[in-house]
Amino acid sequence: MRAMKQFFPRHPIPLLIFLMALGVFFTTDLGAEPPDATLVQAVMCESIENFQPLNPAVVFSISQGEVFCFSNFDPVIKKTYIFHRWYKKDKLIFTMRLTLSPPKWSSFSRVQLRKADKGPWRVEIRDTDDSLLQTLRFSMVD
Amino acid sequence: MEALLDLFSGFRWQDGLDILLNTYILFRLYVLFRGTNVIRGLLVICVLWAVSQTAVFLGLVITNWAMQGIITVAALIIIIVFRNEISSVLQTKSLKSFFWGIPRHQFNTPLNIIIESVFELARKKIGALIVLPLKQGLDSVVQGGTPIWSKLSQEMLVNVFWPGSPLHDGAAIIQGERITSAGVILPLSKSKELPSFFGTRHRAASGLTELTDALVIVVSEERGEITLFKENQTHTIHNRLALGKLLQEDAGDDSTSKGIRSQTIELVAAGLICLVCFTGIWLSFSKGMETLATQEVPVEFINPDQRMEIISSSASSVKLLISGARPLINAIKPEQINIKLNLSQSVVGSNKLTITREDVLLPPGIRLKSIEPSELDITLDTLVEKELPVQPQWSGKLPKGLVMTKATADPATVRITGGGLALRDIATIFTEQISLDTLTKSGTVRVVLVLTPASLRLGIKNTIQIHYLISKKPS
Repeated sequence: MRAMKQFFPRHPIPLLIFLMALGVFFTTDLGAEPPDATLVQAVMCESIENFQPLNPAVVFSISQGEVFCFSNFDPVIKKTYIFHRWYKKDKLIFTMRLTLSPPKWSSFSRVQLRKADKGPWRVEIRDTDDSLLQTLRFSMVD
Repeated sequence: MEALLDLFSGFRWQDGLDILLNTYILFRLYVLFRGTNVIRGLLVICVLWAVSQTAVFLGLVITNWAMQGIITVAALIIIIVFRNEISSVLQTKSLKSFFWGIPRHQFNTPLNIIIESVFELARKKIGALIVLPLKQGLDSVVQGGTPIWSKLSQEMLVNVFWPGSPLHDGAAIIQGERITSAGVILPLSKSKELPSFFGTRHRAASGLTELTDALVIVVSEERGEITLFKENQTHTIHNRLALGKLLQEDAGDDSTSKGIRSQTIELVAAGLICLVCFTGIWLSFSKGMETLATQEVPVEFINPDQRMEIISSSASSVKLLISGARPLINAIKPEQINIKLNLSQSVVGSNKLTITREDVLLPPGIRLKSIEPSELDITLDTLVEKELPVQPQWSGKLPKGLVMTKATADPATVRITGGGLALRDIATIFTEQISLDTLTKSGTVRVVLVLTPASLRLGIKNTIQIHYLISKKPS
């Protein structure tokens, strides 16, 4: 007991604060860099007007002629790329590479609609590391 | 010896039973009809059948056709002509004697009583007509008569024919130890070869022996002469010894040791001939009429790794070209042919498996000629679990002016179990098609998930909810 009293200081609070600070230091990955761009908005829409998505939806009629995938990044730290990957069911139809420039950037990709395109679709938004940022699911109908 | 073994290769217990059963039937027919003309008729039919089969073998179409017709007609003729013999066999008193008993003698008639009675009647010049039926029945030949069924005795027999007796004016029929009927009217012979001094009794006796195998004893009322009619021949009897000898040949007790031995030899020989006949027929069926057939048989996979499952197979059944005797081929049931492919050496992915003769299980007597296809491509996979998002599959068209802004699945993801290869390329589980045509406002719909391929298994029940938001499209 006496040995324990000698080991612990009389006022342990500063020691506890020190230990907590040490824990925060080691659990925080100081080496991880912030992402080049942060996705703040991603929607499927009927068209783009003034760099803003018009009529966001999850079901689109092929009679409209085309469908847009709109993505908005803020902030964009440095010039980088993102990818819009369009899948019909689980089959990759095409990939669009889009450039992002600082300080913030909106970009979109689109497909022309045909009768054969009816069915469930999804667009995966991925960064240059192929990390999935968001998946947008929608259907093309009559 | 090897040739003999080869001849009986594929011999099944059913074949043994088949041969023994038919041998016994033929043997019984022989036992029941031996000594009658039916046997001769059956032999004729057998010869005709052999000729017919030879005609088939040689490709003689018309001869075969004619033989078949003749056999049919011959069978009918036998039934008509030998109806008395057939009816006497079928009217056997007990089933045991029909199916099992071997009649060692047809009758055990006390001949001494008959002989003494006949000579007493002759001495007293009392007319008499005594019938001793043998194998053939008399029912369709004789008419009238009064059933008596009295025990045979000298007094009784003399009394039947005593002048003035009500039954003296006809024939008395003796079967075994009994006088079965008296006053029976026999058919009269129309033969012109009979002596002129023969009266009605003699003509009646002759008429009966022309139609049946019965023995008939006639005692002349005028001359006191005794005449035995046998096989359409007349024998004038002068003494007891002669009558006894003639009767003994057909109607007597043959239970002497010599008679039993000769009958036993005869029956054993007949049984062996029947056995040889049916063994020969079996051989001709099983070896002579070899035929080819194709059977589509499902493949059964055995000893698979418990962690694996069959994802696909190039074929689930194969065609086997088999050969064997036509009756054996025709008797094959689907469950008698099995193909078992061992998967113990198979690995995950594509496997090419060869079906060998050892994998095919055939019934005895059937030989395998070929397997089509002889190789199967089997894809095996290990079972894995995967969490996959659910996506609604909309169809139709929303009413004009409306837009669906959001659709979420509840639950958003489902746990799927299936083959790793099958699940590798699957990233989404889709719902069945949900019609948009009738949707006008936000709501929830319960839908079924579609699993493709069907080998996939869901961790939960197959239905989920889709919540959707519908709003008016901005003008």
